Amino acid sequence: MKRGILVGVVSLLVMFCAVAWAVNLVVWSSPDNADALYELAQNFMAQNPEVQIEVTPLSWEVLYPRILQDLTSGAGSFDVTTWDLMTAGAIAPGMLDLDAFAREHPELVDPNFDDADFIPTARYVYGFWREKRIGYPFYGAAMFFFYRKDLFNDPVLQEKFKAEYGRDLAVPKTWEEAKEVAKFFTRKFNPDSPTEYGIALMFPRTHTLFYMYLNFFAPYRRSPEGIAKFGEVDLDWGDYFTATGLPAFNSEEGVRALQDMIDLMQYAPDPLGSDYGETLEAFGKGLVAMVPQWTACLASWKESPALQPFEEKVGVAVMPGGAPVSGGWGLGINAASKNKEAAFRFIQYATSKEGDKIQWLKYRIGPTRKSVLEDPEVLADSPWLKEAYLASLEGASHRPRIPEEPRLEDILVGVLSEILLGQQPNTVETLNLVADEWKRILGK
Amino acid sequence: MRPLAFWVTIMLAKKRAKTIGFLMVLPLLMVLLGLTLYPFGYMVYMSFFRYSLASWEKPQFIGFSNYRDIFRDRTATSSVDFTLLLLAVAVPLEVLLGLGIAFLLRDTFGERVFRSILLIPMMVPAVVAGIAWKMLYNFEFGPINYFLSLFGIPKISWLGTQVFSRLGVILIDVWQWTPFVFLVLYAGLQSLPRDIVEASLVDGASGFAAFRYIELPLLRPLIFVLLIIRVIDALKIFDIVYMVTFGGPGSSTHSYSFYIYKVGVSFGWDIGYASALSVLLLIAVMLLVNLLIRVLRLKETLEL
Repeated sequence: MKRGILVGVVSLLVMFCAVAWAVNLVVWSSPDNADALYELAQNFMAQNPEVQIEVTPLSWEVLYPRILQDLTSGAGSFDVTTWDLMTAGAIAPGMLDLDAFAREHPELVDPNFDDADFIPTARYVYGFWREKRIGYPFYGAAMFFFYRKDLFNDPVLQEKFKAEYGRDLAVPKTWEEAKEVAKFFTRKFNPDSPTEYGIALMFPRTHTLFYMYLNFFAPYRRSPEGIAKFGEVDLDWGDYFTATGLPAFNSEEGVRALQDMIDLMQYAPDPLGSDYGETLEAFGKGLVAMVPQWTACLASWKESPALQPFEEKVGVAVMPGGAPVSGGWGLGINAASKNKEAAFRFIQYATSKEGDKIQWLKYRIGPTRKSVLEDPEVLADSPWLKEAYLASLEGASHRPRIPEEPRLEDILVGVLSEILLGQQPNTVETLNLVADEWKRILGK
Repeated sequence: MRPLAFWVTIMLAKKRAKTIGFLMVLPLLMVLLGLTLYPFGYMVYMSFFRYSLASWEKPQFIGFSNYRDIFRDRTATSSVDFTLLLLAVAVPLEVLLGLGIAFLLRDTFGERVFRSILLIPMMVPAVVAGIAWKMLYNFEFGPINYFLSLFGIPKISWLGTQVFSRLGVILIDVWQWTPFVFLVLYAGLQSLPRDIVEASLVDGASGFAAFRYIELPLLRPLIFVLLIIRVIDALKIFDIVYMVTFGGPGSSTHSYSFYIYKVGVSFGWDIGYASALSVLLLIAVMLLVNLLIRVLRLKETLEL
């Protein structure tokens, strides 16, 4: 009896000491990568019982201000966070320089980490702000163009399309082609269309419009004429700027991109009132034939009754124009963290080859590593991934990563929305109003 | 004649009582100063600085530059339009509807049940209400468009056109806040002396005439106070806009308070500029409320 009590007391004491001495890592995350991060944290804790990880999802709108508030105050409320690539410039001063930390602590560096395995664009945009390495690539993303494979392969529809447009029905490679195909699949213009609308578009007055516009503007910006006029794209300033850091969209190219969007709107269900959720639903319920969207949508569409059998009905292609906007997240450490060693080991695991593969196979989070794209299991699961994803990520257009980005974004989105609504004319003069405000904010 | 010492003792006792009273109120005063006046003063102070957390720079005194920038800021000026529209349309609608419902519901069958049901919108958190309304307004799959289609009305883009998105936000505001107006006026109606009304009915006045010429004048102070409360609330509208339209499309539903939130939080804590925007809103609220007090002669009505 006495021995039993003693064993119980000792066990409790050991448990108490284990909890007291455990390293508790607080990980902040956006909701779209929280599930994957949670599983990776569980795996890491199983291998490292002395570390306890708590993943806290914070909404997209809340996460950035909270990170910034914590970093500038030096409070150290979190140890690790996922950060949106656009916020790189603003948060960089408060984040730990991972390269410097690795040099100071070579014993913590995982010999299998293989830094060279990261896709070069991903390595920079999800990892660096100028010379400082503030994260490891965690969540790769470039927008894709999803389409109804069964409709595009339908011989009857192919024949009708050819009779009407004099060319084969194919997944559009340019926005001009997309307009024709979208019209063909819109019942208002083609009563025989199997879908109500040709394309689902999301042009609300939110950050969504900021990246959607880039899908249309970047093909002009990155064309040989665009490069000659605006210069090469800088990965920090992004496609909205010239090589000299001046706004590039207040130009004929910017107007033409907007006109492409306006032309397509008539083939979409409520484009100005739709955002991510609405377009996801429109494609998932078979209402539209095409939709530009992020990779994570695949996970929800896979369960959609209207899209079964999934492999036969859903196709994935590079965005028309070939310059889809990039998204994605890095995983970094708070410079004020008191648990840097454990945090460093955890982020190495979460962004490892194993972590990257789990993220794609289970959560449809875009890979950031080349080896994952070559992995036999991944190739068997998603044969289209390597070609479409690499082409999308390598040709991707980028939003600014400078600290002023949120403010610049809001100003442009406001005017773009007014133009799409017809409240402002689609002219260079209108876009100049935005460019002038941008220059005032940037002190140019 | 009492001796001087008596009066001195009385005065000292009074002074002591005052001091004790002050000391007892002091903790509350400190809380009030700490939580209200200090942040307010600090906000006014910061409005003269350039200070944004995203820039990682120390606050820099810039005088009235933030205020000057507001008048050149397209988003700030365009946000005023919708805020004024809300004031002009939603607030009077809420007061009229609240008054009408309170009058009609009084002494009717099932009064208690209806009263309870009517209060539900007010009790629903704005975030939940926003999500629910967004689903109701859904273009393709929303119930509102479905029911309209039963009457042959084509689908309405509630969140994608200027007119309907504005109407949509106004409808939500009216839905959520009419119950509050109703509740206060209903309670007011119940507390009015019934004998005057009954006397007028005996004299041959109709129910509406009694309401129009007896009850309504007696309710006037309450209506004016409600009007002021709703005006202040409408000027601060944020949650519904944030949840349902995010200010769009264009600048159709972009309210001024929503813009303050974006500048102050989403833009990376631009504290200086957001403070200046807030100070201007505060001045506008104070001016408007004072104007209302004067126009409605509230000082005399409430014997202030």
